[in-house]
Amino acid sequence: MNRSLVTILTGVVVVSCLAAAPARAGINIQIFPPALFRATTTPVYYEGHAAYWYGSRWHYRDARGGWQTYNQEPRYLRDYRAQHEPQRHYYGRDSEHRH
Amino acid sequence: MVAGFGLSAAATHAAQAPSPTAAGGASTSSATPADDQAASELKEHHRHHHHGGVTKFIAMSLDTLGTDDSKRPQVEKLQSDLHTQMAPAREAEKSLQLVLADGMTAGAVDAGKVDAAIARLTTAADAAHGASLDTLNKLHAILSPPERAALVDKVQAHWEVWRQVNQEELPDGRERGGQLAELTEEAKLTPNQVTKISAALHTAMAGLSGKFDPKKGEAHVHAFSTAFAGDSFDAKAVTSNANGHLASRGATRMALFYETVTPLLTPEQRTKIAAGLREHAAYQPAPSAK
Repeated sequence: MNRSLVTILTGVVVVSCLAAAPARAGINIQIFPPALFRATTTPVYYEGHAAYWYGSRWHYRDARGGWQTYNQEPRYLRDYRAQHEPQRHYYGRDSEHRH
Repeated sequence: MVAGFGLSAAATHAAQAPSPTAAGGASTSSATPADDQAASELKEHHRHHHHGGVTKFIAMSLDTLGTDDSKRPQVEKLQSDLHTQMAPAREAEKSLQLVLADGMTAGAVDAGKVDAAIARLTTAADAAHGASLDTLNKLHAILSPPERAALVDKVQAHWEVWRQVNQEELPDGRERGGQLAELTEEAKLTPNQVTKISAALHTAMAGLSGKFDPKKGEAHVHAFSTAFAGDSFDAKAVTSNANGHLASRGATRMALFYETVTPLLTPEQRTKIAAGLREHAAYQPAPSAK
């Protein structure tokens, strides 16, 4: 079995365990914006936080650096999302400024 | 594999919008890549541009900080100043990339020229830290506390991505999104070439792992983050400076990658990859604070 297949299967097993065990324990799995997303996405400031729309939820870091998620979308953020396209920054060779 | 989703378990709460739910705990990386175009391009950028270390992470973070319109011109000016302060390092990096491109075209990279270019880049990147102190103080002064916190989070995100593509990612790995996979796609490598290049990279990069201490980068990022998030800030108090260390590591790995693959490519493939290196060499950052 090649390494790629082992990696994929391992990922499937890990994700399955992560998803199943908390569900049995009555807790939710929260998905937060990863580094690649935060480094390329412009946030929206709301209630004193930089909020990111990711995985169909709004997320932000609290004062201690932990991630928080709005269970229901606040009206301000919902309206903002309806009126603005997501702002991503592209660093590809075609996107860079050249002289 | 680079940066997956942040995952954390949290007790189920009744929905009480607009109050946020307490998710608790820091995010952790998992095995699932955020493999969209912006993410893929950022990884390629961090594999090829090492001219400012943490100072560059700060400048890049301004690309997506999202400050309000009233202060955007000031932020763009400060971002431009940061790029100016990193310009000597950027020129050294450009020289290195052109040496690699010339070597790629010729079929063999001049190791002496590469070493000299990396040495110049390291010295210039190291100096960018001291040159940027006044600009960082001005940046702190005009940003609001939430914007400072967002900037710090973005700097940490860039550091995480940089570390993953320049330290943690297996150079011979064939995972989707990895450097060999990107080369495979761009140069249309045959399966036989992929096998040979993977083996060659495994051997060539074997001695590289012990030469980089991520704790130096971590110390610089942590010192900046802690200080910048505060109400008062003096950049001179951030005495950690890993810029040269990061530049040296990133540039060395980049050079070793291209030195290793060059003799295993066809002339047509080398021409294509050399063109890509020249495009990276032509990179010239411009203010883009949003």
